[in-house]
Amino acid sequence: MPTFLPEFPSSANPLLLFGFLLLAGVIGGEVVRRVLAVPHIVGYVLIGLLLGAGGLGVLDTGLVKEAWTFVELALGLILFELGRRLDITWLKRDAWLAATALLESALTFWLLFLVLTLLEVSPLYAAVAAAIGISTSPAVVLVVAQDLRAEGQVTERALNLAAINSVISFVVVTVLLAGVHHEYEAAWMTVVLHPAYLLLGSTLLGLLASIMAVLLARWLGKSGRAHFVMTLSMIVATIGAAHLFELSVVLALLAFGVLSKNLDRRHDLMPFDPGRLGQMFVVVLFVVSGASLTLAELVAGGTLAVVFIVTRFVAKSLGVMSLTRFSGVRPGAAGMLCLALTPMSALAISMVRGTTELYPEFGTKLAAIVLSAVLILELLGPIAVDFALRRAGEAAAEEKPAP
Amino acid sequence: MTSSELEFTPSAGLTLGVELELQILNSRDFNLARDAADLINLLEQSGHPGAVKPEITESMVELNSSIHASYGSLVRELETLRDAVAESAERLNLRIAGGGSHPFHDWSDRRIYPTERFQNLLKVYGYLAKQFTIFGQHVHVGCPDGDAAVYLSHMLARYVPHFTALSASSPFQQGADTSYQSSRLNNVSAFPLSGQMPFVQTWGEFTAYFERMRGLGIVESMKDFYWDIRPKPEYGTVEVRVFDTPLTVERAALLAAYVQGLARYLLNERPHAPSRDVYEFYRYNRFQACRYGLKGSLVDAYTEKRSSVQEDILSTLQTIAPHARALGAEAALQELGAGVIEGYSDAGWVRQAYAEVKSLNDVVRLQSELWMGRTKVHA
Repeated sequence: MPTFLPEFPSSANPLLLFGFLLLAGVIGGEVVRRVLAVPHIVGYVLIGLLLGAGGLGVLDTGLVKEAWTFVELALGLILFELGRRLDITWLKRDAWLAATALLESALTFWLLFLVLTLLEVSPLYAAVAAAIGISTSPAVVLVVAQDLRAEGQVTERALNLAAINSVISFVVVTVLLAGVHHEYEAAWMTVVLHPAYLLLGSTLLGLLASIMAVLLARWLGKSGRAHFVMTLSMIVATIGAAHLFELSVVLALLAFGVLSKNLDRRHDLMPFDPGRLGQMFVVVLFVVSGASLTLAELVAGGTLAVVFIVTRFVAKSLGVMSLTRFSGVRPGAAGMLCLALTPMSALAISMVRGTTELYPEFGTKLAAIVLSAVLILELLGPIAVDFALRRAGEAAAEEKPAP
Repeated sequence: MTSSELEFTPSAGLTLGVELELQILNSRDFNLARDAADLINLLEQSGHPGAVKPEITESMVELNSSIHASYGSLVRELETLRDAVAESAERLNLRIAGGGSHPFHDWSDRRIYPTERFQNLLKVYGYLAKQFTIFGQHVHVGCPDGDAAVYLSHMLARYVPHFTALSASSPFQQGADTSYQSSRLNNVSAFPLSGQMPFVQTWGEFTAYFERMRGLGIVESMKDFYWDIRPKPEYGTVEVRVFDTPLTVERAALLAAYVQGLARYLLNERPHAPSRDVYEFYRYNRFQACRYGLKGSLVDAYTEKRSSVQEDILSTLQTIAPHARALGAEAALQELGAGVIEGYSDAGWVRQAYAEVKSLNDVVRLQSELWMGRTKVHA
């Protein structure tokens, strides 16, 4: 055999993998949308499930691990964008929105914890699962809103609530890590310092990134192209740095987004819109999230998953319904807001994976509780958000006069 | 519209009312938002003077003052109303700005406000309805009877270039500098029923004209005429509609004071009879003011002399000074005149802002900070 010919089977090739995931997602998404008339991302997840370890096995655990880099890139982009939407001056002016965020997060945690322990899940697992349940998938809400070109109070409030509950969820999960370390009899230094390192370190990384981005923006001047490339490169570099220092990509990128918006007093940094580039990563994000889940998990979770989802929905709805009216939004908006907060997705998977990397045994047991719920919500969440934003009248409807 | 609505309701002489169409913005990139319904709903719960109403697209809101005898109470009420609107908008994370056009929104993104009348306008006018997302100020001035309203409408037509140049605040549209001081009026001109009132001389003639147009099915109500100046029988006023919405409510009140002063001069002194010649030069003069603002040239129909809009305003301010004094608006018109002397226009302010910050997003941010009273600049 001549040596210039490729040898088979070759090992995974990142570019081929990326292209394949994109193509599979785009084709699958379109097929699912045409047949089932549901949002594109449901199709991406279904294709992921089909190709994943639980389906045809094309994307096995090893490949999913390889492809997880793309997921983090996509998630980083989304969290940055979401962070930039979190407007702290708004929370000061509409304290009821801030109160809603805190109340729905607290209710979600305590109700989930209560119900899970009643179902004889041991307290530490119940607590971590409940903490993960606080978060609403920022990716699903943002992507569906962008697909519909939705704009309005329900959209903006859903995005802000998702941003806040994601931060709270992440912080609580990280603090609970102390308990997990303790459970596995780690040194007390690790018990105390690891959560602190993650929280402070990731926030500090986000802070440094935002300061650098703003300074660079000032130096570059108001050029949309230059700002786009600079911001994108800062996002990618921050994700890389988070890896380098074993920090949290999620928290670092959220902090980068929030601080670059709220500390930029001179408005140096121009609005960042990842546009079609962002859509490309979204496809990969959902295909890989789908592939990382298996139907076996659904069976394992079974009724627990259903109880988890219902409890979470009830808790969030209680929080939202009791306070939203004080914000002065139109009647009916609160109900749509409850629906818009249902999705769980890559962020939750990523938090489960975080614990798995530390303690595989703990991660596997946690996955059995959380991931079955995530799987159901990966499919139902986008439909709920799509319905809520349309029903709220905030989707950009096609209104054309007759020719 | 029933015939009784064509009866001219007499109003106390020279009372004033202002309508302001405003831009509703998001706080993220300062593009137009679509939250008119929520904003109006929230404002209904807060006590405020005047009225707040929807306009043709969901990105607009219209403020109406109540009826005022003089400039002083008008400006105070507009400021109170401005503060109420600004506060409610911020609770919804929205911003509000003046200016005749949004500098960079894409008209095809706009959505028609869901009322039957506005939806019908979309059906009739197609894309023009969405492009009508432009922002004007209307000034109502009270008239004792219909004949006086017809006379005043014709006489004010000569001063349309003044109104345009003084209010011009729409230099940018769809992301580009239009080279006009007021590009907004070009959007209005596209409508078939825009332009001027026909050359009728009495309220009787006006009513006959309207009945004929309605009989032919061309219009259903007075609202279908998009004239620059039109009588408004149910209010008992003449409505001047050529103003761009200024960048501040203070300047809106100054412009209203100018119309009131002119109206008092015209109705009390009756300096001329209405002339068809005014309409002969009308479109040329109006174009000059749209294009060049104060520097545009103006041909006077009565003397057939050419001057700049700036000179013509300054001499008019002198002519009407006694009337301004009688109306308690002397200081207001002096302030307006001082701006004219230094060549100030809101359009110039907007262009200057763009030259400084080099991003239209930031220009709109500055416009909103100015309108909401967060920065103090030129009135």
